[in-house]
Amino acid sequence: MRHGEIQRFTFLERIVHWVVGLSFLFLLLTGLAFSHPRLFWLTTLAGGGATARILHPWMGVAFTVGGVAMFFLWIRDMRIDAADREWLKAIRYYAVHDKARVPAAGKYNAGQKMFFWTMTALGAAYLVSGVPMWMPGGVLGVGPFYGGIVNAMRLVHYMATVGGGLLLIVHVYLGTVAYPGTLGAMLHGSVTRGWAKLHHPRWHGKESGR
Amino acid sequence: MAQLPASGLAIRRMSASSTPAPGIRSEGPEYAKLVDISRCIGCKGCEIACKEWNELGIEPTENFGSFQSHRDLSADTWLLMRFTEVEVGGDVAWFIKKDACLHCAEPGCLFACPAPGAIVQYENGIVDFNQANCIGCQLCVSGCPFDIPRFNPATRKVYKCNMCIDRVEAGLEPACAKTCPTNAISWGTKEDMVALGERKVEGLRARGLANAVLYDPPGVGGTHMMYVVPHGDQLDQYDLPADPTAGAGALAMLGTVRKLGASALGLGLLAAGLHYLGFGPQVPEEDAK
Repeated sequence: MRHGEIQRFTFLERIVHWVVGLSFLFLLLTGLAFSHPRLFWLTTLAGGGATARILHPWMGVAFTVGGVAMFFLWIRDMRIDAADREWLKAIRYYAVHDKARVPAAGKYNAGQKMFFWTMTALGAAYLVSGVPMWMPGGVLGVGPFYGGIVNAMRLVHYMATVGGGLLLIVHVYLGTVAYPGTLGAMLHGSVTRGWAKLHHPRWHGKESGR
Repeated sequence: MAQLPASGLAIRRMSASSTPAPGIRSEGPEYAKLVDISRCIGCKGCEIACKEWNELGIEPTENFGSFQSHRDLSADTWLLMRFTEVEVGGDVAWFIKKDACLHCAEPGCLFACPAPGAIVQYENGIVDFNQANCIGCQLCVSGCPFDIPRFNPATRKVYKCNMCIDRVEAGLEPACAKTCPTNAISWGTKEDMVALGERKVEGLRARGLANAVLYDPPGVGGTHMMYVVPHGDQLDQYDLPADPTAGAGALAMLGTVRKLGASALGLGLLAAGLHYLGFGPQVPEEDAK
């Protein structure tokens, strides 16, 4: 935490975020490599096709463990309330940086909360569809999954990947270049007062004791 | 880059390749194996010949109340004679199936494979696994309508009958066809084998097996191992799917969904870029002071 700034994420929260974030990036890139022949070269980044294939499910385990930790760490702040519904009505103003017409957000705005809940659902989809592909011969007395089940799960896994990939683009874009100062919250844990006032005025008020 | 197979045969299709297969030359005819089930005496000489020629590992046989040598195919058993006792007209008949890769013209395994060049189809019709490129995902097993490929957990690669590609390339017939003592397995051009199969079916029908058929399923574009089936009305008893298709159901949808998915992700990146160009970063005013 930097001097004069407001603490936004604890050390634990930051570790959990990067376990989930970096594993997701790995999973997304290798997953796209497995799905699109033109992107197969991406497996080189993971040590080649066979190695990428071995690492992908284990990274999935890291993503799942981190995701579960994150879920319980943040769920308290993620309840969608009446203020969030007002915020969502003004989302088109938010999208064009017209902050004056966007209701003041708390620690998380409604978009972030929806990101949380959508990623939770997608995470469950990755897990449920991923395990049969990882262990097609069966696991814990269930299976085998060869044939129709694997093929259907492959479709589900891919569609969830596209959803997660799109969310990641928005998440990284907003968290870095679009809103300077945001990335620091996930690196050293704190944000400037100006940042808090601009993006999360109600949270800023609370943190400043007003 | 995908490693090319050791064989110098012209390639028709390569798995997970967005550009056309390198082969521009066509090398002679397509070949096919014809298995006349009515002539099989169940000696399993073909199983041995397969193991010997391909130098496959020996797996102990097991008596589980059947004449069959092993329960299932494996990474080391590319050919298994399956024996099923079936009641036909108050009599017991032995339904034998030479269980091995059928070398489909439309190979479901190849379409399902995500690794470039791990599965190739030669111009002569043979579908071959190139383990150098295999990533061990086993999606080919699920893509195969006949449940043929088998995974070896030690090597993390998948294996199956390669139609003795090294013999065929040298102008020889596959080892199983070479060894069969009753000529139940014939080898020749696809055209000749279809003609021979049809003659054999006619012969069986004349002998009272009215339901005899030539098994060359059109759902997979025909196969390069065909069967003359004496009791064609009981294909399920032979463990032969009545109407197999390559890339059925979810796999067929996946092709379309992938195009949409790639477009969506590409547009997403583009939209983020354009948004930045249009609206720029939002910097807190207070801090800028």
